[in-house]
Amino acid sequence: MDKNMLAGLEGLPEEDKIRMSAMIDHLQFRDSLRMYNSLVERCFNDCVDNFTRKTLQKQEETCVMRCAEKFLKHSMRVGLRFAELNSQAATQD
Amino acid sequence: MAANTPAGIDKEQAFGMAETEMEYRVELFNRLAQTCFNKCVDKRYKESELNMGENSCIDRCVSKYWQVNGMIGQMLSAGGRPPM
Repeated sequence: MDKNMLAGLEGLPEEDKIRMSAMIDHLQFRDSLRMYNSLVERCFNDCVDNFTRKTLQKQEETCVMRCAEKFLKHSMRVGLRFAELNSQAATQD
Repeated sequence: MAANTPAGIDKEQAFGMAETEMEYRVELFNRLAQTCFNKCVDKRYKESELNMGENSCIDRCVSKYWQVNGMIGQMLSAGGRPPM
């Protein structure tokens, strides 16, 4: 997703490139924090239902690990498809 | 979008629009990812890999979501503004 954004910066003067890069970095950082929060919430909701103990049980831990890995893999796959569709759309314009 | 600023719009506005556009893309991606995960992935998390069915579902879901996104975009830019 980020590489596509950077590709559009080629024609710009240096100071504009720097400003746009900084903007992209900022957006990416903010987005990773959001992803962190939403992943925690998702995996908690999907995996933890039992409050008889205050520490996670083994199966809850396993579930959370799988949930997180699965979502990250899913997110990567979506990113690939998204980039493909984005570049198709760009060439059609 | 980056190299050509439309006539009558200054640089600050162009940066503002670029930023808004990028935020929109990020939001689109996030919603797309959440939606297709909810629709395609088994919540029992029996394993950490995506199976073949889930992979196909994800690809198709992304494709359809994209189409819907395009349709709505066209609808809004065609009829979206109230007539004067």
